[in-house]
Amino acid sequence: MKWLGNNWDQVLVALGEHIVISFTALAIAFFLSLVIGILAARSERVFRWAIAFTGFLYTIPTLAFLALLIPVVGLGRANAIICMVAFSLMIMIRNVAIGIREVPADVVDAARGMGMRGIDILAMIELPLALPVIVAGLRIATVTVISVAVVAAYINAGGLGTLIFSGISNDFAPKIWVGGLTSCALAVAADLSLARIERWLRHRAD
Amino acid sequence: MFPQRIFRNLFVGAVVLLLAGVPASAQVRVGSKNFTEQFIVAEIYAQALEAAGIKVERKLNLGGTLIAQKALEEKQIDLYPEYTGTMLLVILKAPSMTDPKAVYDKVKAEYATKGLVVLSQAPMNNTYNMVVRPETAAQYKLETVSDLARVAKELKLGAGPEFRDRADGLPGLKSVYGIEFKEDLQMAIGLRYQALAGKQIDVVNGYATDGMISALKLKRLKDDRNLWPPYYLVPVVRREALDANPQIADALNRVDALLDEPTMAAMNYQVDGEKEEPKDVARAFLKAKGIVH
Amino acid sequence: MLFIDAWQFIVAHPGRFAGALTTHVALSAAALGLAIAMAVPVGVLLADSRRGTQLAITAANFGRTLPSLAVLALVMPLLGTGFVPALFALTLLALPPILINTCAALQQVDADLVDAARGMGMTYAQVMNQVELPVAMPVIFAGIRTASVQVVSGAVLASYIGGGGLGDFITAGIAMMALPQLLVGAIPATMLALGADWLFGLLQRTLTPVGMRAT
Repeated sequence: MKWLGNNWDQVLVALGEHIVISFTALAIAFFLSLVIGILAARSERVFRWAIAFTGFLYTIPTLAFLALLIPVVGLGRANAIICMVAFSLMIMIRNVAIGIREVPADVVDAARGMGMRGIDILAMIELPLALPVIVAGLRIATVTVISVAVVAAYINAGGLGTLIFSGISNDFAPKIWVGGLTSCALAVAADLSLARIERWLRHRAD
Repeated sequence: MFPQRIFRNLFVGAVVLLLAGVPASAQVRVGSKNFTEQFIVAEIYAQALEAAGIKVERKLNLGGTLIAQKALEEKQIDLYPEYTGTMLLVILKAPSMTDPKAVYDKVKAEYATKGLVVLSQAPMNNTYNMVVRPETAAQYKLETVSDLARVAKELKLGAGPEFRDRADGLPGLKSVYGIEFKEDLQMAIGLRYQALAGKQIDVVNGYATDGMISALKLKRLKDDRNLWPPYYLVPVVRREALDANPQIADALNRVDALLDEPTMAAMNYQVDGEKEEPKDVARAFLKAKGIVH
Repeated sequence: MLFIDAWQFIVAHPGRFAGALTTHVALSAAALGLAIAMAVPVGVLLADSRRGTQLAITAANFGRTLPSLAVLALVMPLLGTGFVPALFALTLLALPPILINTCAALQQVDADLVDAARGMGMTYAQVMNQVELPVAMPVIFAGIRTASVQVVSGAVLASYIGGGGLGDFITAGIAMMALPQLLVGAIPATMLALGADWLFGLLQRTLTPVGMRAT
């Protein structure tokens, strides 16, 4: 890989950009889905509406979504991050809500019996116990977000996609290979690490 | 409060990353459109400015003509390389003209009203050249675009995303030459010659300075009815950026004067044919001309 | 209003729109069809082998994480530009969800059910066709549903490697900053994806044996 040898700095910059926007989007999605997910856990109506709406967002093709945002937020990172957050919400809200609901009722009752307030029960019992399921959702969201970020390079958000598009623009295969394989590797690595964390959390919860 | 601390730290981390992601403002931001020549010229401009002591940020591979123009108008970039014919027909949507100086003067004047400065034009006319494989030219006896019009119904065209909508693209070919192709395919600009060589398409809207045209020994068809205006290369700069950094004008005019068609075609070939990086080709050019050491 | 301009664009270029729409649907349908034709039989064949199923699921899980654009782009240096390379890439993208769901569904079929059927004298093939597959159908169709949305979405990207489809309007719209044209690409593509999701959701529910329906 002669090209890679001479241009690894370009690849690292692209990788760095990719990780930054992905992480930012995931963090935002995480917080949004916590808030909405907690509400959805308590109310069947909220759950159904939230899932229906975010499910609709998820079905929109990536490039179409990015394109639809152009008149609103223009090009670049902000556009990409909004898209990534939108795509992550369904799975994360669903998993937060389901995770909380699956906490055994008697555990919650016992806590209430001990005089704990609602917010403490949430923070110290329900959320920690729901963590494995939440992380399972985070895992899928992470892979989704990395995938979107690859396409987002087209609207100038930076990231590994720039290598792919540049390689296609110049009909230069090595760039396509490096960009393509690195983004695959990043997605797989993220998936495996989160799978590990998920397994550890489940093991700990038993 | 294990979970609470984690959540709070994550939140702070996200905010920090978001802010850190905002790049430090460079003095000048150089943009480019989405094909090889644009990458090379933008790099030449960028490196020439750096040699003149200006800090440069590159925003290359913008998706097309009007998106680059929009980036300029919305102050997301400070300058990019454009062609006078494109400025006339596609951006200003004005009627076509044949005299290079007339075109230059018109676009310069109109752009000035938008707060954009058009610097000197380079001695290269990167006009459209409809090209076909030598066998196709021999088979149908093609010398001019009018000849192409005769047989276009049997041929497939491949072009970039703008050609179907530009006044100097398919609509122009239709109104001036009456051309209707059997099929017209849209693809990334850099893939046209590969598709042509691979016989997936038969005709390409070549750019006069494309390195691959001579490399593949393609036949250029003469524009006998003068559909296309001159497309001379010019740097387009935001007035405010120029006022803040007056050295931009000299630096860019100097390199522009050195860009003629053979030079540009050779550099294009180094990237498209020999797969070198645009920035390396730009550097070698500037070194040879003594602008960079 | 943007939507009106978008509609007028379609009216002004009916052939172009019809062509792009047809290509998009053709690419998506063909890729989905090919993926089903490959993944379901493989899932069935491996149903008996624990290790085989594990391997298939692991491989498919790996495939599931690959960014769609990366797969499309990586096919280009190998197969060139156009419809066929795009079809190849999209089929690859559709395989993982269908394969995973087929394997998982067949594995989850109640062992007692299978034993009972065997006990009644049914052959392996009969058990598979009359017991296991019908029971597994809902989950298999869930996988097909996921794959269909992925394929319609991926077909939008095919424009970049000359595969045609509704993505052409999006890239052209971006290049020319023509917002109506952007919508001409983005909205029908979204509608196609939603339509596929709805259609396969409907099929999934219809094919669920009555006794197994949740409602």
